[in-house]
Amino acid sequence: MLVLQDVSKTYQMGETQVHALRGVSLELAPAQFSVIMGHSGSGKSTLMHLAGCLDVPTAGQVTYGGLNLSELNARARADFRATEVGFVFQKYNLVANLTALENVALPILLQGKSSKESRALAMQSLELVDLGDRVSHRPSKLSGGEQQRVAIARALVNGPAMILADEPTGNLDSATGDRILTLLRDFRQDDKLVLVVTHNPEIGELADTLVSLRDGLIESHTTQEVAA
Amino acid sequence: MKLNLFKLALKNIQSRRTRSWLTILGVLVGVTAVVALLSIGTGVQEAVLQQFEDIGYDIILIAPMGSGSGQARAAMTGMMPGGGMQGRLGTQASDDSDASAPVTFNPGALQSSSDEEEQPSTDKGTQHTTRAVQTALDTELLLEQVPQLIEAGTLGTQIQPVDTGSTSGFLRVSTPSLDFLNAFSSVLGGFEISEGSFFSNTTQNQVVVGARSAEQLELEIGDSISINSVPFTVIGVLASTDGDAEAEETADDGVLSGQGLAQNLGTGMSTDLVLRGLTNTDDALFVLNERASEALVGRTMMSVTITRVESGASITETKDAINVAIGQQDATGTPISIQEVADEIQGTLSLIETVLASIAAVALVVGGVGLMNTMYTAVLERTREIGILKSVGARDGQVMTLFLIDSGLMGLIGGMLGLLLGSVLSMLGTRLLGPSLGVGSFTPIIDAWLVGGVLVFSFLLGACSGVWPAWRASRLNPVEALAAE
Repeated sequence: MLVLQDVSKTYQMGETQVHALRGVSLELAPAQFSVIMGHSGSGKSTLMHLAGCLDVPTAGQVTYGGLNLSELNARARADFRATEVGFVFQKYNLVANLTALENVALPILLQGKSSKESRALAMQSLELVDLGDRVSHRPSKLSGGEQQRVAIARALVNGPAMILADEPTGNLDSATGDRILTLLRDFRQDDKLVLVVTHNPEIGELADTLVSLRDGLIESHTTQEVAA
Repeated sequence: MKLNLFKLALKNIQSRRTRSWLTILGVLVGVTAVVALLSIGTGVQEAVLQQFEDIGYDIILIAPMGSGSGQARAAMTGMMPGGGMQGRLGTQASDDSDASAPVTFNPGALQSSSDEEEQPSTDKGTQHTTRAVQTALDTELLLEQVPQLIEAGTLGTQIQPVDTGSTSGFLRVSTPSLDFLNAFSSVLGGFEISEGSFFSNTTQNQVVVGARSAEQLELEIGDSISINSVPFTVIGVLASTDGDAEAEETADDGVLSGQGLAQNLGTGMSTDLVLRGLTNTDDALFVLNERASEALVGRTMMSVTITRVESGASITETKDAINVAIGQQDATGTPISIQEVADEIQGTLSLIETVLASIAAVALVVGGVGLMNTMYTAVLERTREIGILKSVGARDGQVMTLFLIDSGLMGLIGGMLGLLLGSVLSMLGTRLLGPSLGVGSFTPIIDAWLVGGVLVFSFLLGACSGVWPAWRASRLNPVEALAAE
């Protein structure tokens, strides 16, 4: 269970303080497809960064499975990201000079596993997203949908407990976007917490848990039955 | 894990080939300069040391007048192959444009002390310095006075007006004594007669001519020339020592320069008589000291007495005894051992080597700054990539290590290539510089210490140059890094 308890995040932009989140409290359960919606500047990406240990809150605390993520040092946060979190970004964020296979293997290589083992796991992960035949292609040789699937394969390769996706279909056509969403939603069956941040209401309609943010505050929080 | 980071770093270098190679080039240039200068410098030192060992540390020179070591070193420099003074003979006629016959004289290393000098005089197009005749040591008497000495000989050098009838000018006249030729033939380099013969007696005015002098003066065996208005007969012409195949061959045989003298004097001397040194034999004339002392008066620049100490005798005590003997003979001179000369020359060479290496090190530092610039730019360019790495679990230390390996690898590659290029350049430099450095042919020293030191240093240079950029990279906030365009 991912729990945000009275979480605030303030950024200093020059002399101006920007309050991205203002005392947000939220519980997100595993095996659910959770969607955070909101307009630009609503704080949804900040919430995802805090959930994924990419950032720390200014106030409040974020816990996962009883572990207070807010108190972790930089190294422990990195380790948490390496083992428990898989990120999927709108811009795919693949390393340009690495092949699809190398991109997917990257998290495992950073954990110190052997090249052979890393390649094998990466291959499995790529096959899971139907890209087994594109392993030696660099990102520039892949379509947007393929790149996003590589990113999803990379997010999965470590067997993380949660998948955090920030506008995962933002750069894709609707058909490809639907395919990606289906892929992401399927992961909840593996008891993973899938959290998608988006401003697209169509994605919100697919959510098990839908949270709407506005100006750093929760505007609405609903849980609904979603057909599998 | 380090191996994985190493592979990633290698990927980064490969993906930015042009910039990486340009950066590597910066390090390469610096390392090349360092390797070439150090290997040549060490090679020169070794060659010089070898020459002194060949000469033998049981030798004591008695340099004329002055304070000693400087004079003796000058004398030694004069005797070292390729070193020392240069004299050129040419026409003193109005045809100054005759480039083949320059009339110059550089007293160089064989000057005597200022209190003994006459005022130098300058002729049209000619510089020469005349000297007072020094009070020469009686070597036979010296051997009696200093029982620790087992051999002694004299090597004189004069600058004399020479007239061949059609050409005139000033030329260096070397005047080895018979004792000198007898006793020190094996320790001083040599020269080879290409035409005619060597000295056959001490009663006739005979002259042996250097190759270039013979060519420029158009001298042949049997010709008569005037030295200081005294007629001499040309009895031999030396083979050229101009860095040709013969000289190299001689060097290969263990004689660093000069040619083997294969003529006897008719006095029971070895037919392999060699006289290393007497330097620049191409431009000189050779007259036996015994004749020179009778026939050639005035313009004597210097006379060096060379002695050999018997095995086991104290060099210091022998020098003291020589000083006493010099006083008793009412002569002038300062004894100095080969060891002292060697130490002084070694010191000078070390200083030169240090200065040159320091200059080369500056080039290396410039290469390092270039590397730092590249790495800093890479951090800026790869900010998003750093964010990606952190998002998939890379620790700050791993990001830093990745960049350090990246820059270290470029330094190492630059070091390896610089080592190769520097080695090649030092080989070429050896051939080009050897003769002009006065040590003939020598081998640049590229030992394990130099190789290991260069590789370690270049890697560390690269890594150190990357420390700051790498630290910056590691400290990037992952959220901000991911947001970078």
